Amino acid sequence: MATDKTHVPIDHDVDIVAARRRARELATQVGFSGSDLTIIATAISEVARNIVVYANRGEIVLSAVQRGNQRGVLVVARDEGPGIPDIPRAMRDGFSTGKSLGLGLPGARRLMDEFEICSEVGKGTTITMRKWIRQ
Amino acid sequence: MAVPILKQGDMLIASIQSDLSDEDLEKLRDDVAERVGRFKSLGVIIDVSILDVMDSFATRMLRTIGDTTKLRGAKTVIVGIQPEVAIAMVQLGLTLDGIPTALDLEEGLRLLKISITERHRGN
Amino acid sequence: MLDTTPSLDLERLQLSPHDVERRKAFVGLKADDVERIRSIKDLFLPNADRYIAVFFDHLAGIEEAARLSGNYRTLEEAQRLEHEHLIAMMQGDYGRDYMEQRVRLGMLYSRAGLDVRILLGAFHVLMRALGTEIMKHFAKDPLQGFDAFISVKKIGFLDIGLTVDVLIAERERIISVQQDAIRELSTPVLQVRDRLLILPIIGIIDSMRAKQLTDDLLHSIRANRARIVVMDITGVAAVDSKIANHLIQTVAAARLMGASIIVTGLSADVAQALVGLGVDLSSIRTMNDLQGGLEEAERQLGYKIVRLENSPPALEQA
Repeated sequence: MATDKTHVPIDHDVDIVAARRRARELATQVGFSGSDLTIIATAISEVARNIVVYANRGEIVLSAVQRGNQRGVLVVARDEGPGIPDIPRAMRDGFSTGKSLGLGLPGARRLMDEFEICSEVGKGTTITMRKWIRQ
Repeated sequence: MAVPILKQGDMLIASIQSDLSDEDLEKLRDDVAERVGRFKSLGVIIDVSILDVMDSFATRMLRTIGDTTKLRGAKTVIVGIQPEVAIAMVQLGLTLDGIPTALDLEEGLRLLKISITERHRGN
Repeated sequence: MLDTTPSLDLERLQLSPHDVERRKAFVGLKADDVERIRSIKDLFLPNADRYIAVFFDHLAGIEEAARLSGNYRTLEEAQRLEHEHLIAMMQGDYGRDYMEQRVRLGMLYSRAGLDVRILLGAFHVLMRALGTEIMKHFAKDPLQGFDAFISVKKIGFLDIGLTVDVLIAERERIISVQQDAIRELSTPVLQVRDRLLILPIIGIIDSMRAKQLTDDLLHSIRANRARIVVMDITGVAAVDSKIANHLIQTVAAARLMGASIIVTGLSADVAQALVGLGVDLSSIRTMNDLQGGLEEAERQLGYKIVRLENSPPALEQA
């Protein structure tokens, strides 16, 4: 199965918009529709902004994936920024009021089906997310 | 890309034309604040019907616009949130926290007129 | 009529070259197996018909396989394909074409309503016939005969594995098509007055249906420019906290679109139970029943129902 990867460099806030657009294109190709497209684009917007705000630059890699007869998208957002010292806390801080600056991560996790975060202080952060077409 | 803001009597109508970057949103916030001050507008409508994503930053900016215009004596209504966008916002946990919303421009103007009339009556 | 036409989607059935190699590995099919099979091919190639007949005669005696045996055209095609397949099997060329052939046969059997139980039985009967012939041929060297038979069984098992996978995939595909159709029919959004929609929900709400409901409702709000929706859940089979939370999200989404939702039919008992489970119902406006909800909605929209002085008399019974 072809796994073409789309790399979107994230350097500047306009790249957030580009990342959203590419994600929507890929998700449409994979077969997502309607609100799922918006949900995926929104989750990517959050992690992309995270990169811009906290790490200055990084990249988002998008690809189509398959597990059994389920199709979906895989999003890997990585940066070589300062890293997240307290991941559980970052995943807790939040969005309910949206007043705190928040890292957008708990929100992204809520939107996607699978969410993993790997971060090392001084080295960087990698976030891996997947969403599957609901059958 | 700057968002065009039209003046219609006491109202300002900002129609977002395309996907906005963070900088564009900040500029919109500043432009609206400036014009409300200049024209002493009573109501502001922000039409987001073109947006296919409303993330935390965009939502926060809209709330900020609502708050700043209130400080300058105007009421803001957000119109045109699309079904998929509304679903994603709710799942993400984003709210517009008390800023009124309406389906479209027509409904938004109707809402603003009602609230402005009520305010006048109150005086 | 639902379009349940099957398609030959090999990707979906996991038949990339890599998958094929894995299938061979799963049955332990190796180069020497292929050699052994090729070395005995002359036992079967000249009389392939005989072995195909064993397979189909067995099926002919099974009532549940009547749709295959009784349909001349289907039977003929199946016999032709199995014949080709047996020949290909004995020649030891198990590439993409071989796999496609197997899948095509699987689709045919699926359309004919044959299921796994029946096919496994017929498969066994065929294997036994092949095995008997092999052992006869190797009467002087039974161990070699056994090895040859085992090699044939390996490819046989690869075949039956493919057939079963095709049957399963077809069954799942049909169910999915049917579910989509049911979902589309299941929840009408009714426009009752200008700006007022009614959404009566009946039955069991699973997460897929809930998502569909919300989608349909929000799109209807936009299409009808509704300001108020009366959502009646009297007919919902079981309102649990998951459904309640979905309801709350739907109300919030509708509000973002400038519409308010009045929920009717949420009994006091259920409401209390939900609150007890930690569900925050404060954001939902509720009324006892649809009638009450409608009246409240009309009131909010500025409608007043007035009976006219000289309303027409009631129709007389004929």
